[in-house]
Amino acid sequence: MAKEAGRDVVRFLNVVKTYEEGAVNVTALNGVTLAVRRGIFSMIVGPSGSGKTTLLNLIGCIDRPTTGTVEVCGQAVAGMSDRAITDFRAHKIGFVFQGFNLHPVLSAYENVEYPLLLLGLNARERRKRTIAMLEAVGLYDHRKHRPNQLSGGQKQRVAIARALVKEPELVLADEPTANLDSRTGASIVELMRRIQREHSASFVFSTHDPHLMSHAEETFMIRDGQLVDHRVENGA
Amino acid sequence: MSAVVKIAFRNLRRNARRSFMTMSAIAVGAAAMLCFGQFIAETILEFQTGVVRQNGHISIFHAGYFDFGAGNPAAYGISDYPSVIRLIGNDPVLKPLIRVATPTISMFGIAGNYGVDASTTFSGNGYVPADLRKMGSWDRYGLFRGWPPIPIGITDSDESVGVIGVGIARILGECAALHVANCPTPPRVADVSPAIGAAPPDFAELAKRDMTSVAPVHHGAPRLDLLTATSQGAPNVASFFVIGAESQGIRAIDDSYVRMHFNLARRLLYGRNSTEATAIVLQLNSTADLALAQERLQFLLKSRHLNLETRDFTQLNPFYAQGEQFLGAIFIFIASIMAVIVLFTVVNTTSMAVLERTNEIGTARAIGVQRSTIRWQFALEGSLLGGIGATAGLVMAQLIGLFLNALHISIAMPGSSQPSRLILLTSSTAAPLMIGVWLVLVVVAIMAAWVPANQAARMPIVDALRHV
Amino acid sequence: MNWHSARWFGLGAAFCAAMLAHGSAQAASAAPSPDAILRAADIVRFPQQPFRLTNTLVEYINGKAHDRVVLSVYSKPDPATAEFNTLVRYVEPPRDAGKMVLFNGTNLWFYDPASKESVRISPQQRLIGQAADGDVVTTNLSRDYAATMLGAESLQDADRANRDCWHLDLKPKAPGAVYARIEIWIERSSSRPVKAKFYSDSGRMLKIAYYHRYSQVLDAVRPTETIIIDAVDVNLVTTMTTADFVAQAIPDAWFQRDFLPRVP
Repeated sequence: MAKEAGRDVVRFLNVVKTYEEGAVNVTALNGVTLAVRRGIFSMIVGPSGSGKTTLLNLIGCIDRPTTGTVEVCGQAVAGMSDRAITDFRAHKIGFVFQGFNLHPVLSAYENVEYPLLLLGLNARERRKRTIAMLEAVGLYDHRKHRPNQLSGGQKQRVAIARALVKEPELVLADEPTANLDSRTGASIVELMRRIQREHSASFVFSTHDPHLMSHAEETFMIRDGQLVDHRVENGA
Repeated sequence: MSAVVKIAFRNLRRNARRSFMTMSAIAVGAAAMLCFGQFIAETILEFQTGVVRQNGHISIFHAGYFDFGAGNPAAYGISDYPSVIRLIGNDPVLKPLIRVATPTISMFGIAGNYGVDASTTFSGNGYVPADLRKMGSWDRYGLFRGWPPIPIGITDSDESVGVIGVGIARILGECAALHVANCPTPPRVADVSPAIGAAPPDFAELAKRDMTSVAPVHHGAPRLDLLTATSQGAPNVASFFVIGAESQGIRAIDDSYVRMHFNLARRLLYGRNSTEATAIVLQLNSTADLALAQERLQFLLKSRHLNLETRDFTQLNPFYAQGEQFLGAIFIFIASIMAVIVLFTVVNTTSMAVLERTNEIGTARAIGVQRSTIRWQFALEGSLLGGIGATAGLVMAQLIGLFLNALHISIAMPGSSQPSRLILLTSSTAAPLMIGVWLVLVVVAIMAAWVPANQAARMPIVDALRHV
Repeated sequence: MNWHSARWFGLGAAFCAAMLAHGSAQAASAAPSPDAILRAADIVRFPQQPFRLTNTLVEYINGKAHDRVVLSVYSKPDPATAEFNTLVRYVEPPRDAGKMVLFNGTNLWFYDPASKESVRISPQQRLIGQAADGDVVTTNLSRDYAATMLGAESLQDADRANRDCWHLDLKPKAPGAVYARIEIWIERSSSRPVKAKFYSDSGRMLKIAYYHRYSQVLDAVRPTETIIIDAVDVNLVTTMTTADFVAQAIPDAWFQRDFLPRVP
């Protein structure tokens, strides 16, 4: 899978997002302009209600801006149909959720395999990749377990495997360690780091976890729907 | 796609109790529709069998008889019926379809048992005994397997014997002679009119000179005088010996019914040397051939310029046609109610599932699952509920049917003269009904699941993910 | 009026009118042809000119008189066919007074003054009651039946007197005749009919008629009473007695069905 050439994996140009809450119009993002570089750990931080989650949703293409331009993986998402955007997500974007969000009736193996079905790969290829991913997260032995038979850390590892098995250009993680204890959380962060290096994937997080924050190579601070700070760390 | 199926099945097990309740409701609905439908179908077929046994499938008349002949049957006879029967019997298209082709006579007149001063109008039906017996053995649907043949009361060995209805037997004071139970003798009307004029002359002596008393009883069978007007308008009378009384179901018919040998009726109505009949009755091997036989018959009659018309048994028995329609309407009404109940049950179940899986739906959509796939997921789950429930219902219906059949219950159908056995068809004629009910319920289940499925598909991903 | 009541004496009476007649012909020769004998008997029974008379019918059941009807009868040969057309009007009992029956040609019509409607009576409806009696007394035997001689016989008439008779067997000349066969005994010397038996197509005897009480009526000696014994309903005997016989000119219009409401 060839990666798009270009420095930025995400570009926002004056993005505004409003929505209605009852009779009131709420402005979640009020003219945000930013660019996220490829192949690094990027972090979005800010207090709750700052528009952090909205920003992530727009980056993940699971929501559309009210005005402004959103470009992900070199693709302007503005005019795309729902079918096209869904397909885009299937190929290019992986998600890791705070609540793991694994499919309860599928085994670990099947959960990891699931995104590959959306890509239309043949059975042999799917098996190869799924097993490789499971091994990468160290859960090959638990592949037949259902989510309710796994611990929180194990579930998140499965979720990461699921997000990465399709070798996406962009991985989004909203508070991935929030539901884990600190030790498990640390091991998850290590895992993500390792995988990021191996696959040269772009990771965008939102988090409060200091350990994760310490790995950030670029940080975007949001407050009241606006980008208030942007830092680049670790000489990336 | 197989993932969708796999997930669907697992989801059914996920909330096993709810799935079970839903499928049970569908199963009960299916079983009810099937049992009731089979009952209706069996009723109709039994009715049809009775009608076809007595009156065949098609009757051929002189043109105009159907509309006007009842007032004057003698004027609307089919002349030379043997040649018409031969014509039909030799036709290559009709020959394999026809089981019996027989001439019949319908007439009316006065029947008298003057020994007890009783007389009344009678409606006479003349049949050829061997043909009537064969017609009475028609059992295309296998409903009367193992039942003994019903005696027809007329015979070729003696053309003057026959049977009459119980009502007319009662009116003519023949109950005792015919061993009919629960039958009062008619009162002798007391003669209260005053004596008129002078003492009458001795008629008894005059009468006795010539009255060779016609034998009142013939091998134990009481005698009736049947009086009618011939086609020429002349009075004609014949002795008729009654060997039994047979209830005819409908009272108006029972009070005047006489069944006699065809030749006796023919001689009475048309004279000794006649070759006329009021109708030619055709009984087919199968009712399904009716349209084809009618068409060919019309063609044949028209091509020979015969002034004859045909009617089928539904036209001659409006009661049958109405009964069939009515029963069919009831079935559709009840089946519709069942289907609506199934619809609501599945809508409810699927809506609840959609609500519970909101987060799951959002996740799937985020990962890249298309809306249509989500829609199909829930629709499939609905159809599985419908399919499994309907299948269970089919099995239930079969079991209920076998159970009821083993009980040998008898029911008297309206308008019939004898009670008949209640059978739920577990034969091939029930197959279309079963397939139909199954398909309808599965379609209803899919339709029911579709709206909530659509809702699921169209959910905004962000809102869905916010759900826990 | 009840169509099917046994009070159809009118019809019998209608035809019975023809019985009283005006004629001569005492054909008493040696072995005349059967048809000639029959014709002579017909002439004894009915006249050849228009007439009216009063007919009284009494019905006896089991020997006891049960019912009595008195009728006025008008009869006239039809100008076209020489057949007798007959109009009967009920006189007694009061509840039937004014009702009329018309026989012209082959149709029988009943007229009810209350509704001023006339209705045709079909052969089926003539079966019951005494409608058929009319056939017994009116039938133009020599015209409708061919006679064969069965022989000379002596038999008792209705009053137990012995009569020397020709015994004839009659068969219909054409289809449409009322009886399939008739036996008739005609007195040789006077050509008077004494007795007749009427048979149906099946061979069963339907009626027996005795003609008696011969007396001078108008210009001939005619039977003034006929006894009709029903051979099927064995309890039933009817007597028809004629009186007040008058030759009378009757307008042709009276024998039209449409004219019935206006018959005085």
